[in-house]
Amino acid sequence: MSLMRGKTSKENESLINRNILDDKKENDNRNIKDSQYITPDIVLGLPTITDNYLCSSEANTYDIDFTRFQIRDLETGTILFEISKPPIIEEENYFKTSASIPQDARIDANAGRFVRYQFTPQFLKLKTVGATVEFMVGSRPAKNFRMIERHFFRDKLLKTFDFEFGFCIPNSKNTCEHIYEFPALSPELVAEMIENPFETRSDSFYFVDDQLVMHNKADYAYNGGLEKKKLGPISILE
Amino acid sequence: MGLLTILKKLKRKEKEMRILMLGLDNAGKTTIVKRLIGDPIDTISPTLGFNIKTLDHNGYKLNVWDVGGQKSLRTYWRNYFESTDGLIWVVDSADRRRLEDCKEEMHKLLQEERLEGATLLIFANKQDLPGAVPTKDIATILDLESIKTHHWKIYKASAITAENLLEGINWITNDISKRIFYKN
Repeated sequence: MSLMRGKTSKENESLINRNILDDKKENDNRNIKDSQYITPDIVLGLPTITDNYLCSSEANTYDIDFTRFQIRDLETGTILFEISKPPIIEEENYFKTSASIPQDARIDANAGRFVRYQFTPQFLKLKTVGATVEFMVGSRPAKNFRMIERHFFRDKLLKTFDFEFGFCIPNSKNTCEHIYEFPALSPELVAEMIENPFETRSDSFYFVDDQLVMHNKADYAYNGGLEKKKLGPISILE
Repeated sequence: MGLLTILKKLKRKEKEMRILMLGLDNAGKTTIVKRLIGDPIDTISPTLGFNIKTLDHNGYKLNVWDVGGQKSLRTYWRNYFESTDGLIWVVDSADRRRLEDCKEEMHKLLQEERLEGATLLIFANKQDLPGAVPTKDIATILDLESIKTHHWKIYKASAITAENLLEGINWITNDISKRIFYKN
């Protein structure tokens, strides 16, 4: 692809027609550095999961550090999933079998930006869940901190979270729990999601003052307990 | 007033309310929120930033912001005023020594332009403790009668026994909805 260096007017035209993300990808191939192109509106308009991380790990100049993720069932109070720093030993239960950072992801520069979740089919039957994040902020105040999280099964958008944390106090430790009704999914879609592990994926984008500072990814399987092979529970946040 | 009405409706299409919980450190803000949601309250440490909960209550989406009350954090409170519909001021009724401080900090907030119009709920918390100052006396010490700029109400409360917590939340959400969603 040499669109960035397009010479003919035709190529230039097609360059204009391409969206900024494609431009971004071109840039990524050379040097993942500039994430200033990526605005909240752009990520809100993405038709599916991104191929690449839209910013480098170094974009996190506010030293925002996620120290805990938790999902719980509000009806029974059961903690369905928890991953924290330092790691806690978790037990398998009715809803989940494991969460892990895959081996191959641990060695590269994007370690800690990707989490793989393995749930049992029961997870998709939940009604009210609480999703908590806990994070610390470094010595600079973070203004207009905003999280946009998009969940897809293949190219179908399941849910978008768009939440403005606003101001974060320097050296603070903060938590946010969203308590929400699980989106109603058709039985056909649920069956497909169970049959196709890791084709349910999410992108989490974090902006400070409309600048993309972090981008994390996750994928999900809901066939836990259905297969013979047992996966060890691992929970590590790098 | 036609234009203002339209603007309000645009902003409020989702029936969202932003509730800010403040008070001196150790007043019990986090414990109250946890109690309301049914979380365990046995291991709560001082809040060194904020805790946000978003939840549905009586058809409204409440965004509750509980911001730490330590002295060093109070200078940052102003960063959370914008768009606040309701202010919950939490008082440690057993901390007699600091009730004067408590009054000053609260009245400072009421002068803030960006909190103008916000409904004020006061929880006289820790009323389960034997040394607690009676709610009526707290109202006097805080000089509540002098408040003319905000709708306000004080509740005798306890995060431990859950006394009046739900009543207080129902009152503040009702008052906000009357002001915002139904006032033409």
